[in-house]
Amino acid sequence: MVNITDIAAAVDTTIIGKGLMIGGGFIGPGIGIGLIGGNYLQAVGRNPEAAKFLGQALIFVAIVELFGLLAFASIFIVK
Amino acid sequence: MNFIKVFASSGPTVYVAPEKVFTLYGWPISNSMIYGWAVILILFFLFIWAGRHVKIHPGKGFIGLIEEGVNFITNLVENSFNNPEVGRKYIPYFVTLFFFILFNNWTELLPVINDAFNYHKVPLLRPFTADLNATFAMGLITMGLVYYASVRESGGLKNYFQHFFVGSPKNPLFLIIGLLEMFTDLTRVISLSLRLYLNVTIGMIVIDVFAYLGHIIAPISALPFYLIEIFICMLQAYIFTILSVMYLAVAVNHSAEHSSPKDEDEYLTEDVVPERIRVESGSVGTAGGA
Repeated sequence: MVNITDIAAAVDTTIIGKGLMIGGGFIGPGIGIGLIGGNYLQAVGRNPEAAKFLGQALIFVAIVELFGLLAFASIFIVK
Repeated sequence: MNFIKVFASSGPTVYVAPEKVFTLYGWPISNSMIYGWAVILILFFLFIWAGRHVKIHPGKGFIGLIEEGVNFITNLVENSFNNPEVGRKYIPYFVTLFFFILFNNWTELLPVINDAFNYHKVPLLRPFTADLNATFAMGLITMGLVYYASVRESGGLKNYFQHFFVGSPKNPLFLIIGLLEMFTDLTRVISLSLRLYLNVTIGMIVIDVFAYLGHIIAPISALPFYLIEIFICMLQAYIFTILSVMYLAVAVNHSAEHSSPKDEDEYLTEDVVPERIRVESGSVGTAGGA
């Protein structure tokens, strides 16, 4: 009979935590950047003159991206 | 199987923070500071040299590229303000900021960083922007300039604080929204500095990881990430600059609108115009009828 505390002690929970953190942290920015890019392309498709607003779209990409990077940076803090 | 075990057991050496190389009169000198000073010196002489060789008709060489960059940021700053005269005063700072961050980011891609040169087992060179202290200092100075300039350009503290509020601060809803706006204003230092630091550091780590995974074919496996990093470094310099320009421009433009409310005559004349047309058309109608 294997004691459950032995299993818990054998499993390295840090790896699981890091994996969950990366996975969960990248979902949001992934969706966000996808929405920004998709809406930008839609705007260009409807009105080709909107293509000059690429720089402004990239600003929002950078703002969204920060949260993914925060999740990536946190894996160095978890011990 | 052994092959996979090697990958799992020990990853590439990753440096997240700068390290102290030596002490100068009691001041710790870190490896990122050394690289930062080197970039400052290079930029200083490069731009003096470039400034002496500027022509009326720019060529396609290196100077043309620098001119293009200066022109780009100049237009960006001037177009962000309602009154370009106000923006023109702050162009030198933002152009310097852009090129400083750009060159510091690109030094991340040179093969001299981290383990290339060691001094008493401490890496000698590390990109300046891959250091949270450095980017935080840049964020503090930039936001300090933004606060100072927006208070000065909007004409007094009262006008400056008024731009946070949509309506009268006596309304509790507008008061809460205004206080929230003020709070988000204070988090800008942290978000600016964290964004730059994390992008550069994580770019460095990603290149490290893929060069390690590639083993013998490291140049090929790391190449796509190098190319992406060249673009991202440029993008981050652009974003740091444009965000600080926007913070300044929004504060100045908003307060200018608040402090000089539109004359009511303007609205009145707009209301009068359709009536006049109606009168004229009515008179024309009667004339036609007659």
